Amino acid sequence: MADPLVSALKIASSGMEAQSTRLRIVSENVANAETTGKTPGADPYVRKTVTFAATLDEVTGANLVRVGDIGTDKSAFESAYDPGNPAADANGYVKRPNVNMLTEMMDMREANRSYEANIQVVKQAREIINMTIDLLRS
Amino acid sequence: MIPAIGSSVFDTTVSQTRAPSVTDGMASVDRARGADFNEFSNILSRVMVDAANTVKAGEATSIQGLNGKASTQAVVDAVMSAERTLQTAVAVRDKAVAAYMELSRMAI
Repeated sequence: MADPLVSALKIASSGMEAQSTRLRIVSENVANAETTGKTPGADPYVRKTVTFAATLDEVTGANLVRVGDIGTDKSAFESAYDPGNPAADANGYVKRPNVNMLTEMMDMREANRSYEANIQVVKQAREIINMTIDLLRS
Repeated sequence: MIPAIGSSVFDTTVSQTRAPSVTDGMASVDRARGADFNEFSNILSRVMVDAANTVKAGEATSIQGLNGKASTQAVVDAVMSAERTLQTAVAVRDKAVAAYMELSRMAI
């Protein structure tokens, strides 16, 4: 039986790691928000999505979190009239990525808040552990 | 001489060749105590070795983190675990030393 407080630290750490990956995906989406295809009519950058999955830690018996899989957004591409673009089709329209900046910003905020929540868990667990160890010192 | 009695002393199939003495049980207890005499210092040294190993693991993870091979969370995790183990070890040692000092100051 592992120490529950140490398990809490481990779980929070896994949450932080998962949120970091989420932030990485958001960053990719934001950075590629203007990425179009190379050849005429080619598909542009496809927005990536991230899902989380619970995973059992055999040592502590705790449910950690991990990134389930990184999928792609199935929504349709927008098209813009830009005949000069190398990716423009015969009518001069270019497919643009299905990245919505507003959605990405919200996602980023959410990742940030989740990360903060996990940090609070770490802080609390650590404080409790330190308080318990300090019992020996009195 | 009756052969049946004389031969039984040298008979290897007879396991008990002498009567159990009163001190038999005590002797075994004493031997066990001798082994356990330094038990607490053994525990303490094990705790210290454990602490040293955790610190070493923390350092290794830190170096990996500096090289970009470990995530920040992993580094912080390892270092915090090292800190925790060391704190516990030091607290336990302080307590043991305090107990020792108290004994040494005891009026005779």
